[in-house]
Amino acid sequence: MDLYEYQARDLLEEQGIETPKAIFVRNIQDVAQAAETIGFPVVIKAQVKIGHRGQAGGVKIAHNRDEAVQAAQRILPMTIHGHKVSGVLVAEAKNILHEYYVSISVDRASRDFDVLATANGGTEVEEIAREHRESVKRLHISALDDFDLDAAMDMARSIGFYHADEAQAAQILLRMWECFKHNDATLVEINPLAKVGDPDDEASKHLCALDAKISLDGNAAFRHGGWAQFDNADEADPYERRAQEHGLHYVHLNGQVGVIGNGAGLVMSSLDAVSFAGQDQGTGVQPANFLDIGGGASAQTMCASLEIVLSDPQVRSVLINVYGGITSCEQVALGILEAIDELNVTKPLVVRFDGNAAAEGLRILAQAQRPNIHVEQTMELAAAEAARLAANGGEETK
Amino acid sequence: MTVFIEDDAPVIVQGMTGHQGMTHTARMLKAGTNIVGGVNPRKAGTTVPFTMEDGTVRDIPVFATCQEAKAATGAVASVVFVPPKFAKGAVVEAVEAGFDVVVVITEGIPVADSAYFVELALRNGVRIVGPNCPGLMTLASSSESHGVNLGIIPDGIVSRGPLGLVSKSGTLTYQLMGELSDIGFTACLGAGGDPIVGTTLQEALAAFEADPDTKAVMMIGEIGGSAEQDAAQWAHEHMTKPVVAYIAGFTAPEGKQMGHAGAIVSGGKGTAQDKQEALEAVGIKVGRTPAQAAAFMREVLASL
Repeated sequence: MDLYEYQARDLLEEQGIETPKAIFVRNIQDVAQAAETIGFPVVIKAQVKIGHRGQAGGVKIAHNRDEAVQAAQRILPMTIHGHKVSGVLVAEAKNILHEYYVSISVDRASRDFDVLATANGGTEVEEIAREHRESVKRLHISALDDFDLDAAMDMARSIGFYHADEAQAAQILLRMWECFKHNDATLVEINPLAKVGDPDDEASKHLCALDAKISLDGNAAFRHGGWAQFDNADEADPYERRAQEHGLHYVHLNGQVGVIGNGAGLVMSSLDAVSFAGQDQGTGVQPANFLDIGGGASAQTMCASLEIVLSDPQVRSVLINVYGGITSCEQVALGILEAIDELNVTKPLVVRFDGNAAAEGLRILAQAQRPNIHVEQTMELAAAEAARLAANGGEETK
Repeated sequence: MTVFIEDDAPVIVQGMTGHQGMTHTARMLKAGTNIVGGVNPRKAGTTVPFTMEDGTVRDIPVFATCQEAKAATGAVASVVFVPPKFAKGAVVEAVEAGFDVVVVITEGIPVADSAYFVELALRNGVRIVGPNCPGLMTLASSSESHGVNLGIIPDGIVSRGPLGLVSKSGTLTYQLMGELSDIGFTACLGAGGDPIVGTTLQEALAAFEADPDTKAVMMIGEIGGSAEQDAAQWAHEHMTKPVVAYIAGFTAPEGKQMGHAGAIVSGGKGTAQDKQEALEAVGIKVGRTPAQAAAFMREVLASL
């Protein structure tokens, strides 16, 4: 789960990492007041969970009240790379002397945690890695060991912090590690970690976290009160939210073929099969969603799944692809019929069953004699049929 | 020869007395797995009756700890069905008890917990399979012995043959087992869909490479991370046996977790396209669908 900058800043501050004074506002009428409270100049920053927002015009500096309001008026309605801006952070503008990059993340390949830092901060990390590969320093922390002050000092020296800043940099690295561990994060990134202050006043110079990106481990929500403080319920996709209430994993995708299956891998594979079929048939039909009913799903779960998928008005046909392991195809068949009766479903449903109780499931569907149920032998044939029916407007029945 | 674990190996089940544990212990016993005990500190000293295929009842003893279970039964492996909150403690206990293999079925374990027990296992020479996986199934290497079914992989789809299978996904494992059921397998290993797992795709390839009965390996990957690329590179440098692959998730959008905790494309990394290219660059054929991957495997076997 990714956090907004304004939320990530709070977690850094909890560990004693300095960030610029800032106020998060959602509404344009609160911007002027916030800017005056902070003091000019201010930076108006789009709050959005995607990178490259600066290049997209989502960050503006404002020297007075009018500029602040104008900037917020432009930024608040923006959608950046498909993500709607949720508000703006009105932040104190700092005089930047140098920009560093520091992050701690889960390293899947080495199965530990990875501290990554460079003295060439400021841009996105992918660009840094491309353009300044030699300057990027890494340190692996094993889950059995800890990150201590000596290691942090070594890291700070190797990155190339000015001598005067090494001790403070080491403290910040240690506090980021605390933040990472304490919050069950998968990523804590400060970019830029900036040296700020008056160039003529040595005493004013220090390090400050000018931006923050934190991702939390969804699997650890149980030991953090369900991350209730970060729940942006009003912003979640309504279909995804309803699926979540039923304990189902749903991702909305904007195509025409609803997809339901058991197991994440098989559902992803089904999405690909629908998309390939759309290409092969020359219709460009795409999957409308990912929905995994999980292992051992009941008829009720299947019925609820169909209800959610069919509530998307773009859906013209549905592919139901089940390889029964623990899941019984018989239960899935009963759920399909229940949904057809309760919701008066007329859109075509293409079913492919294999594995546990597949024969029983197919028998139940055959006996029900519903004109909109189409049975196919393999997932490839079923995906092709679902794509064809969606392209025909989803009206055709047997 | 056997791969990963000996035929008829004695096995215990952690979380056996829970709903999942009971269901799957009964299934594993029916598949011929030599289950010799369960662990639950609150039910230690009791036994749980399971009805076998032939109608006889087998009483499985429950122990307080893994160490006690191992000492009393000589078990060499454990299967973990413990819920996420208690999984770290259970797996650490199994690793410290010194089982050779610990199969973790549980989905939803925090990655910090997995990182901990995986590292502990690596340092102690214990093989962890999973977490968030369907388990490990081996097919008997002789007519006098039984293979082991550790986890939730359905029994009866496949019999013994020359293929190895490793997969990040449960149902795609069953799908490919089904597609290639006439050829058969030495072992099928669910590596798991989490960001950190105890046996990576690459480590599974290494085990199959070392097993003389395995002639070719089917590898099933999905979006997220770079385990497929790492496995491709390793196979290119070290493997004499052919590998055929299937990758799921070409249509997955950036930044969306597709069911599995590890199945996410982020910052443009971990796409199915990248994985396919890395595999094909070292001569590994990648099926566009599971059926095509199975067809490629038939071609590869025919040319051996």
